[in-house]
Amino acid sequence: MTNRESGKPGWWAVLRRPSAKYSLLGLLVAGFFSGILFWGGFNTGMEATNTMTFCISCHEMRDNVYKEYQYTIHYSNRTGVRATCSDCHVPKDWTNKMIRKVKASYEIWGKITGKIDTPEKFEANRMQMAEREWARMKASDSIECRNCHNFDAMSQELQKKTPYKKHMEAKAAGQTCIECHQGIAHRLPKGFKKPGTEEEE
Amino acid sequence: MKKFAATLSFAVASLALTGMSTSALAQDAEAAKALADQNNCMQCHGLRKDKDGPAFLKTADKYRGKANAVDEVIKHITSGKKIKLADGTQEDHKIAKTMPPNDAAQLKNLAQYILSIQAK
Repeated sequence: MTNRESGKPGWWAVLRRPSAKYSLLGLLVAGFFSGILFWGGFNTGMEATNTMTFCISCHEMRDNVYKEYQYTIHYSNRTGVRATCSDCHVPKDWTNKMIRKVKASYEIWGKITGKIDTPEKFEANRMQMAEREWARMKASDSIECRNCHNFDAMSQELQKKTPYKKHMEAKAAGQTCIECHQGIAHRLPKGFKKPGTEEEE
Repeated sequence: MKKFAATLSFAVASLALTGMSTSALAQDAEAAKALADQNNCMQCHGLRKDKDGPAFLKTADKYRGKANAVDEVIKHITSGKKIKLADGTQEDHKIAKTMPPNDAAQLKNLAQYILSIQAK
């Protein structure tokens, strides 16, 4: 494995050759700390993309969905517990979070090409975007909702009777949160009919 | 000429009348339906069908021709007052939310829509 022109060993050969200069301990310690630095840096960067500040740094989010979300209970409520963008839209566990982040690269393409850069374009694509997100949530059994909400933790005394009844029916039927609770933090897409509300018109 | 003036005044009068009769109807039915969907009204109310709550048609019939109709409906959907369900038990009515909050025009539009439901 030598470089034909200069006669020097190639980079792969250098990497494969045991070190003659540094001690094994030195290499291990250096590798250990650079590993921490790399991993820490990677996760810090990843967490930075999970903050609301990051999400609303694009006007597409700030001027549309963020505005609507500010009027909802997940933004402001009696006890001051807030669910931010990533609490609902990014899985908590590492593997699924990575998968979601990689898929989000398509959103960068959308940003570059200006797919939703005006309120009109956003509205035109709202149904498609909402349906994609609802499908993702349904597939994960609404795990992001259930990080905080749980059928078994609902108090029959404290919850209103009708919602309690509907929740227990949903639990028995094996339904998941998003099948009924669409558009709780954002406007519903135009023309969307909630299941169970179809009617003789 | 006299005949033309008479026709004209008749036309103006009928236009004014039409205007008066439609003022009780919703200005924007689509926006009202969207607000009703956003607030899950249709989970408990049908347009013409009773569910856990009465059909909107019943509300419309109850208030038809009454001057305070819109105010009464707005009060009903914003005060969280006790209501009687189909099974006879009581519950606090959900408070309808708008974006921005307590938007009088949107609430009025929704109330007018509910009151505009007619029997088929």
